[in-house]
Amino acid sequence: MTGRSARFVILAALIGALSVTSVGAQTKGFKAPPGKMVIWAFGQPKFLQLQIDDYFQRNPSEVQGVTAEVVATKGEEEVRQKTMLAYASQTWDDMADVISTFPVSMQAMAEAGVLMDVTSYLAPFKDKFVAGAYDQAFYKGRLWALPRSLRPQLLFYNKQILDKYGIDPKQMTTFEGYLEVGRRLKAAGNGQVFLSYEDPGSRTWRYWGRRGLMPQAGARIWDDDGNVVIDKDPGALKALHYFETLHKEGLLFNSVILQPPLYQATREGRIATFYIGAFYDEFLKANDKDMAGAWRVMAPPVFSGVNLGGAPVVDIVGITAKPNAPYAELYKRIWYDYNFNSPARQAYTLEVLRQNGPVQNPLSKAMLEEAFWKEPDPYYGGQSFKQMEGLGLRNVSKNMRVTTADAEADTIISAELEKFIANAQTMDQAIANMGAVLREKIGTAPANPDR
Amino acid sequence: MWAMRHAYAFIAPFYLLFLVFGAFPLVWSLYLTFQEWDGLRPMKHVGLRNFAMLLRDQRFLDALGNTAIYWTVDVAFIICLALLMAVLLHTPRLSGRRFYRLVLFLPNVTATVAVGLVFIMLFDFNSGLVNALLGSLGLPRLGWLNSTGLSKVPVMVLAIWRATPWYMLILLSGLQAINPELYQAATVDGAGPVQKLFRITIPSLATVLFFCFLTETIDSFRLFTEPYITTGGGPGSSSLSIVQYLYESGFTVFKLGYASAIGYVLTVILMVISAAQVIFLRRGGGAMGSAP
Amino acid sequence: MRSAARRAQAPVHLVLLAWCALSVFPLLWMVGTSLKPVAEGIGGLGSMVPNVPTIVNYEAVAGLLPLARNTLNSFIVATLGTLSTVFLCSLAGFAFAKYSFPGRDFLFLFLLATMLIPPEVGIVPTFLIMRRLRWINTYWALIVPRAATAIGIFYMRQYIAGFPSEVIEQGRLDGCGEFRVYWQLVLPSISPALAAWATISFIARWNDFMWPLLLMRSKQMYTLMVSISVLPVSEGLSTPWPVIMAGSTIAVLPLICIYFVLQRFQVSGLMVGAVKG
Repeated sequence: MTGRSARFVILAALIGALSVTSVGAQTKGFKAPPGKMVIWAFGQPKFLQLQIDDYFQRNPSEVQGVTAEVVATKGEEEVRQKTMLAYASQTWDDMADVISTFPVSMQAMAEAGVLMDVTSYLAPFKDKFVAGAYDQAFYKGRLWALPRSLRPQLLFYNKQILDKYGIDPKQMTTFEGYLEVGRRLKAAGNGQVFLSYEDPGSRTWRYWGRRGLMPQAGARIWDDDGNVVIDKDPGALKALHYFETLHKEGLLFNSVILQPPLYQATREGRIATFYIGAFYDEFLKANDKDMAGAWRVMAPPVFSGVNLGGAPVVDIVGITAKPNAPYAELYKRIWYDYNFNSPARQAYTLEVLRQNGPVQNPLSKAMLEEAFWKEPDPYYGGQSFKQMEGLGLRNVSKNMRVTTADAEADTIISAELEKFIANAQTMDQAIANMGAVLREKIGTAPANPDR
Repeated sequence: MWAMRHAYAFIAPFYLLFLVFGAFPLVWSLYLTFQEWDGLRPMKHVGLRNFAMLLRDQRFLDALGNTAIYWTVDVAFIICLALLMAVLLHTPRLSGRRFYRLVLFLPNVTATVAVGLVFIMLFDFNSGLVNALLGSLGLPRLGWLNSTGLSKVPVMVLAIWRATPWYMLILLSGLQAINPELYQAATVDGAGPVQKLFRITIPSLATVLFFCFLTETIDSFRLFTEPYITTGGGPGSSSLSIVQYLYESGFTVFKLGYASAIGYVLTVILMVISAAQVIFLRRGGGAMGSAP
Repeated sequence: MRSAARRAQAPVHLVLLAWCALSVFPLLWMVGTSLKPVAEGIGGLGSMVPNVPTIVNYEAVAGLLPLARNTLNSFIVATLGTLSTVFLCSLAGFAFAKYSFPGRDFLFLFLLATMLIPPEVGIVPTFLIMRRLRWINTYWALIVPRAATAIGIFYMRQYIAGFPSEVIEQGRLDGCGEFRVYWQLVLPSISPALAAWATISFIARWNDFMWPLLLMRSKQMYTLMVSISVLPVSEGLSTPWPVIMAGSTIAVLPLICIYFVLQRFQVSGLMVGAVKG
């Protein structure tokens, strides 16, 4: 080989190597079929639209003649309802191309063949993502949805209140300590200051129970065969009795969460902490703007001995299994871009912040290391919320096993808990009822296919 | 007679529409009551099990009880208040009548969803206006939305607030059809206003009142938006209505067969109650078929 | 008016004004809150008076929803729906009231019975039918199914029953066809009932949100009520309440304006029978 052609070969090899190792195995010259890509989403879908529009702007050649419409829906149930209706009419035209969902619905839809199996597509990225990113999309040995974010449970605390009463936040690293802090606040504050809140409706179970105390105590609703065990499982009893203590000692402020009365009470300095998902950051900032600087964030308390934080919540998006799946490839690229294209992600995040929207931490471990994701946040007195959220993902417990019977189980369990909070029954009665009603109405949940 | 075919033609549109959009869904739902289906996976035939489970379902029985309470309280208050307002509005030579009718009808014009949200704030235990008022009067604050005992109250207040103007309007147009000479004759005979009310007004309004009673019965059994928005049916199941439970079974928990069963039970209950009302009133002389 | 009569009316006015205040209060609260900046609290007495009124919330809502288009959708659906129901219901009510034909009573009872069925039960099959007819995401899906409602027919029948039959006979003798009897003789005389029913119908259709939510697939086709209802109800959505209240006000305001206009056409006087005298 001559010198010149050798150099050319080396150059070609280098370029080839670069293309392969660069931003994933994205092939060049991809073109999505003209038409409309429909996405059913919930939870501030306008920011999903923003990201997609941004991708379209940066990749015009891929999306000539394509428009994307993100349709706002009220939540997991509504998306499932729409999907079910489209499915029942047995044509794929009524179904969206991409849908936001949560594990319970995802499992039902996967069984019905509505969702595309994305196991092989996702496999190469597993090690690049934080641990547990795929857990909630896993069912019967396959993966059925793409994760967009994983948000941990965090402890938000009002530093001004703690300082006022001379309480060291480090006391709240265990649940025993958390309880003590609550007692001190009650005594010192003359019953005006509360450790935290309790929601009289379904959200106490959702935020305190399902994602917090229960997984942290290693509790189970069902055993692997699907039998109801919530009334006998030691973890469940531990979690529920702990909550009972908080309630009976009057440490919780009774008010519906995410509604103005609680924001009002928060503004008045009556609530010291929130033990809730990281998403609450967005709500605090939107509704209690004037409290900037008063709040801090830390990892949630743990049960000593178990030492695990709350279970994280995943934001998953499924691709529907339409024949030819016209926009599957396009969405996968958009998803990839969101998770691995660092400059684009940062620019997008800045725009979202500018519009006071929710910021999602990246799933990619490499991206989390960048300085951008450790920037201080004035709302938290200079603490970096993004960084704390990232740290919060390090020591999480696993979510309780989810089955298709869990939607109904949640209403049943929550109903008993609500009666307890309204002081219409004791916790022991509530627990007994939970067991009895679950057995009566559901019987046995599906056995664990992934044990 | 030869005019008859026109009559059939005139009533035909309703029955056609009903056949397509009413009967078919109805029959289909009946079929569903014998199945277990989540909308996605294949249906499973379970015979009468859905109905058997309903009978033992405490949440359903609670919803039934709640709805019965909603019915009796709502009907009582609404009809009385609507009649009162209509009579007042019908006062001869009342100044500002147009203004009153306009403003009084506003509750019915406003979307229930919007007002339900307002009620959440108004009835809040800690910072709501209602409790603030009670506090300023030296009375204890009550847990309207977060206690099992009182959670029905905001729901009923909302329903009554919204529906009264509607019936007021209907009763008013009924009042306007009463011959004023009847009242003049009664005055000559020395009758006082209360006597006029009970001897002339109410009997003349008998048909319209029956209509109101029947409609409001049906509407209160189908109550959904008010509890859904203000209390979500809770705490527990203390303010849950039947249709709310139907919706929850169908579209939150995705037990479509069970939801259909609830729908059918509700329909049967309504039929029984309506039939009872019709028979009761027929015997009482205020027959449905005769003109006023 | 003589002062004695005036004084006698005072208690009437008192009660009416009190009820007016109750009727209007939640609306005022809604508007007051919508004008508050988000940081201001909305609890307690005096909570509805904004310290620093602002229209920021309205701008926020406009940014979140295609308001103009949604309002148009609501308007079209409500208007066409009302026109069809007023026409078809009065026609059928006329038939039930003034004709006797075999099966009349049975058919009427059947009609009443249909009012007892909760529509929520039929959601899935209704959707399937709409799909078959290709009406999903079109106005037809919302207008046609309830073009003639049982309750409307019931109301019309009751009202028309009081219409003097002699006038109809007279009309027939004069050579009027059945439809003309309805159109030219009956309809003008029952205009108070028509106006009342039209008002009620329009309002109900404007405020309806379950069916539009189900049958409309794209944001452009949503009615106003659906758009608004999507604002507050989701976990991830942190729309502050003043914005939600602004949205609600926007949803309610057009209806109030239209109502103000419509009720001018409501003839409040007694029915002037052609037979009197």
